Amino acid sequence: MEITLRKAAGKAAPRANWRASGAALAKYALLILVGAVFFLPVFWMASASLKDLQAIYTFPPRWIPTDPQWSNYAAAWNAAPFGRFYLNTIITTVVGVGAELLLGTLTAYAFVFLPFPRKDLLFLVLLAALMVPIQVTMLPNYLTIANLGWLNTYQGIIVPGASVAFGTFLFRQHFLTLPREIMEAARLEGAGHLQLLWRIVLPLSRPVFVTVGLIALVNKWNDFLWPLIVTNRINMRVLPVGLAYLYDQEGNSQWGIIMAATIFVVLPIMVIFAWAQRHIISGLTAGATKG
Amino acid sequence: MGRITRRRFIFLSGGAAGALALAACGSSNGGGGGNAGVQQPQSTGTAAQAAQGRTRVVFWSSWGGKNGEALTKLVNDFNAAQQGIFIENQFQGTYEETAQKLAAAMAARQVPDMVSLSEVTWNKFSMNKSLQSLDDYFKKVGLDPQDYVESLINEGTRQGKVWWVPFARSTPLFYYNRTLFKEAGLPDRAPKTWNELRDWGKELQKLGKPDLKAYAFTNAKNYNAWHFQGNVWQWNGNYSDKNLDVQIDGPNAVAAGEWLRKFVHEDKLGYMAPDQSVDFTNGVCAMTQQSTGSLGGIATTAKFDVGTGLLPEQEKFGCPTGGAGLGIIAAAPDDRKQAAVEFLKFLARPENVTYWSKQTGYVPVTKSAREAPEMQQYFQQNPNFKVAVDQLPKTQPQDTARLFVPNGDQTIGTGLERILVNNEPAEAVFKGVAEQLKRDAQEVKGQVKDLGLS
Repeated sequence: MEITLRKAAGKAAPRANWRASGAALAKYALLILVGAVFFLPVFWMASASLKDLQAIYTFPPRWIPTDPQWSNYAAAWNAAPFGRFYLNTIITTVVGVGAELLLGTLTAYAFVFLPFPRKDLLFLVLLAALMVPIQVTMLPNYLTIANLGWLNTYQGIIVPGASVAFGTFLFRQHFLTLPREIMEAARLEGAGHLQLLWRIVLPLSRPVFVTVGLIALVNKWNDFLWPLIVTNRINMRVLPVGLAYLYDQEGNSQWGIIMAATIFVVLPIMVIFAWAQRHIISGLTAGATKG
Repeated sequence: MGRITRRRFIFLSGGAAGALALAACGSSNGGGGGNAGVQQPQSTGTAAQAAQGRTRVVFWSSWGGKNGEALTKLVNDFNAAQQGIFIENQFQGTYEETAQKLAAAMAARQVPDMVSLSEVTWNKFSMNKSLQSLDDYFKKVGLDPQDYVESLINEGTRQGKVWWVPFARSTPLFYYNRTLFKEAGLPDRAPKTWNELRDWGKELQKLGKPDLKAYAFTNAKNYNAWHFQGNVWQWNGNYSDKNLDVQIDGPNAVAAGEWLRKFVHEDKLGYMAPDQSVDFTNGVCAMTQQSTGSLGGIATTAKFDVGTGLLPEQEKFGCPTGGAGLGIIAAAPDDRKQAAVEFLKFLARPENVTYWSKQTGYVPVTKSAREAPEMQQYFQQNPNFKVAVDQLPKTQPQDTARLFVPNGDQTIGTGLERILVNNEPAEAVFKGVAEQLKRDAQEVKGQVKDLGLS
């Protein structure tokens, strides 16, 4: 996109050229501003994770810690069983994201490619589920899970979030745009529904698949309230609940240690995000050039 | 992989779901006990090795960080000191999160045995008769409730019975910057009255520091309605009376609010800080009011000499209590309740009260601990902490409007924000707040009357 812009500027008259670079400048200024809004809190988190309490509370703030307190990281890691929290979070996130992708694609496939009565009405019901906030479903879900004897279990954390209307909705919208001719051709070759989904639909849907996967990943990795409610024992806690173990009820929190813990809680998700977002972008542009 | 047709797939997945449901039914039937349908939350998972053959008490607590470590040590000491009881301490988040979890657990009939409840949240469970009265258990295990500081144990006593035992209690405390006071030629003590505070504020203004404010109030999120409870009493007013009749729009409470407004907007001496501890430790304000529980943090982060004092008076002295106590759930089995009270007895030993108090900054909750030589010695080393303890007998439980009205704390708190920030007259603001409180009080008023608060 940048290249096309410059090409266009090169062909035009000098005044238009000047105007184009002015626009580019404004665009970069805006991008830098937005970037700073997102980046600064993360930077502050990293900076505070290396300070003692006095340095954090100092005003005017010091951006770079003068006397880095690497011991904050060891203190944070030892303050609660974070290794166990990591394991729990990885299990609930991986299984949860897998379940959400599986159920989402299957449901969306049915909505788009299978004929059945009252399809539109059912889809409307699904959309309605998007609008029910978690606070409404929390107590009924809790009662169900408790009656199943699933408190303090992985399935208790995972199952209520395994099927999410939003992902299904995104998949359906994307599946609707797929050319029907390819599907017809594959069907004539004798492909069944699961084969169609696996061989044709999903390969054509990589960007949306990665998008839904990433959203699910971030949501499940960060989920605090549901895992807090549905587990009681320390060995079943997940990372975000683990962070709460470091807070002080009376406002005397050791922020340096909390920020250090926050860093190692968010780091994996940041790395995965940085790696996976390429697939979203390349997927989108690949579609664009073909069109 | 063999071809899976759609029908076969649906059949398979349906079968799997059915099998899961069956398995789940089996486990929930197997796990239930005979205790009037109450299923304990620890019915899943395995017990700790040390708990084998002992009476287990599931304790939901709300202390993380340094305070959480102190509690863990007390629990471990108790578990190591005897063979009959095992306390399983399960951290459940903030006071509010713990209360939400408890409400959900009660609906699912999977309750813990003992819970930490704040001075606000315990009222909800008291109203719903979810807590156990403890007097009979006190007699059985030989715990003398008279040893608790009177104002604190009285707060947990209703209809002549104790329901809620003081543990992590705090009060608001007055903080001042001794270094700045010296610079301004002020005496080395907290001002006795709010009017004296205002005069001293003017002296501090004369230091010519453009960024310095005399006094910081705080916002609703940081519990300004808790702090202002003291002001209202000091002006001879009330938020409400024992029957939950709202009085915040009365002349005395309005006068307290008006004094605040003038102090902030006409004298330009006060302002609202999101976190007054941060501003105070950075020397942005010379005086403030904050929980006794924050004393340790403020003393270590401030780069100047920190002084503390009793809250200022106006017409009279007034100071609320805060923090949390421990309650035992009525639905828990009898042997567990008694075991939990054994643990309360352990916590009330002078050496344990002293340890908890020194580690956390919460006030010592028993008279025997206050008199103990170790505590006396600690007072000598930390005169600021002694001030908090001296203030304790003069405190009283807060008014019902903040304790019982749903969202009452925030209704009052956001009203205060309008006075502190928008310069709205207190009379109009409190009139609106009173109407809101009255509306919200309707649903709990009957229950509060049943409690028969004295």
